[in-house]
Amino acid sequence: MRWHIDGDMFAAYQRGDLTPSRMMAVDTHLQACATCRAAVPQDPGWLDASWSAITEMLDTPRPRPAERLLTLVGVPHHRVRILVATPALRWSWLGATVSVLAFGIAAALAGQSGAHMTLLLYLVFAPILPVLAVATVYGPPVDPMHEITSVTPVAGPALVLWRSSAVVGLSVVIGMLGAAFVPGPGWWAVAWLLPALLLCVSTLALATVLPLIRAAAVFGGAWLVVVGGAAVAGSPVRPLMFGPLAQAGYLAAAVVAGVVLSARRRRLDPGEMR
Amino acid sequence: MRGKRRAPVPPVTEQSSDGDLLRAIAAAQRDALQLLHRRHAGWLRFRLSGRCADHDVVDAALQDTFVAIWRNAHTYRETSAEPAAWIWTIAVRRLVSALRGPGHRWLGGPVPLSDVPEEQLALVPSAEDLVLLHVEHGELGTALDRLPSELRAVIQVTAVDGLTVKEAARYLGLPEGTAKTRLMRARARLRELLT
Repeated sequence: MRWHIDGDMFAAYQRGDLTPSRMMAVDTHLQACATCRAAVPQDPGWLDASWSAITEMLDTPRPRPAERLLTLVGVPHHRVRILVATPALRWSWLGATVSVLAFGIAAALAGQSGAHMTLLLYLVFAPILPVLAVATVYGPPVDPMHEITSVTPVAGPALVLWRSSAVVGLSVVIGMLGAAFVPGPGWWAVAWLLPALLLCVSTLALATVLPLIRAAAVFGGAWLVVVGGAAVAGSPVRPLMFGPLAQAGYLAAAVVAGVVLSARRRRLDPGEMR
Repeated sequence: MRGKRRAPVPPVTEQSSDGDLLRAIAAAQRDALQLLHRRHAGWLRFRLSGRCADHDVVDAALQDTFVAIWRNAHTYRETSAEPAAWIWTIAVRRLVSALRGPGHRWLGGPVPLSDVPEEQLALVPSAEDLVLLHVEHGELGTALDRLPSELRAVIQVTAVDGLTVKEAARYLGLPEGTAKTRLMRARARLRELLT
């Protein structure tokens, strides 16, 4: 190297006083000359601050695929964290939902002669699954982190609703996948969606009066008693409970329950003892 | 080739070469990254500050640079480029991303990699670079000073900073075609001025 950068030249570079060609010369020289790189004026305090910022970035866990997907869809970052940060809850209800559906489908595939009965069982039980999921999203009996969650500012109705939307969304997706495997005419495979919607929304609406789990038990139980009872009594359950008229009724009732829920949402029971 | 087994890397010291440090970083040695940071952060900040007046942007770009080095050190090839040039290329690309990238940055999100494949990060010093090492002495210096500033800017970011024409266009806020034309005009002008 025939020349080195001196202190004046460094200062002039920083002030922007050098001619363009000299600026370029300093740039290219720095890239090639370790001596001059080491001679660049340093600020130890800045160096330490920069390093600690870098270690912090390196120690931050990288987002998992589910998190990235939700962010892509446009969910705000803090909501994404809440939704993905409860793995204990997630696996329990996901496992329950999948296994119940799997049993139904396995039974259907094992005996085609019983297909009619299996479809009926599917239609009766599928709407219950999202309700079970909603029942277990919040509150002391099911959430091991509940005591810690309940003292944070996010606790309460907003968290109940966010978690409910997440689990209901996934339950519906899983239910649809399951429905694809159930034998029988295609239309029946989606007949459970509106009852499920009605049960979920009214469970949440009732949760403004009762604890969430009890509200879920009331509506889940009522559904099982009415539809199951009708089936046992030998009524024509499919046309009666899942026909067009009944579907319209479910939709209307779900809208009413939705209105009730939105009017009383501030009283949505956070699951504490009363 | 992240999962490939490597020969054990000897511990690094102050005297280790940049190449050794990068190899140790590829083997996930945090100490090596800290040594590399201490050795290079100063001059990188010095040069980046010449290109961007906002200190926060420069600092953020510099932090991204070392995070990117930590994750991509395994793509560095000893034979292809001087480590300092390799590091500088990453740094200036980070600065371009910070200045021209999408307005939002995810908190704690992944560091967006440049759309250029990593293998191309390693640049061979071009003949222009080698000539520029001596610019201030020769006629080239005078020629560069007499070049119109918008043409000189293109030479600066391509030949000195080592960006591709596409990235240079993004950095300068120009359509790619315009950047290409300006680079050709700048070369033609330089040739004229030097003869």
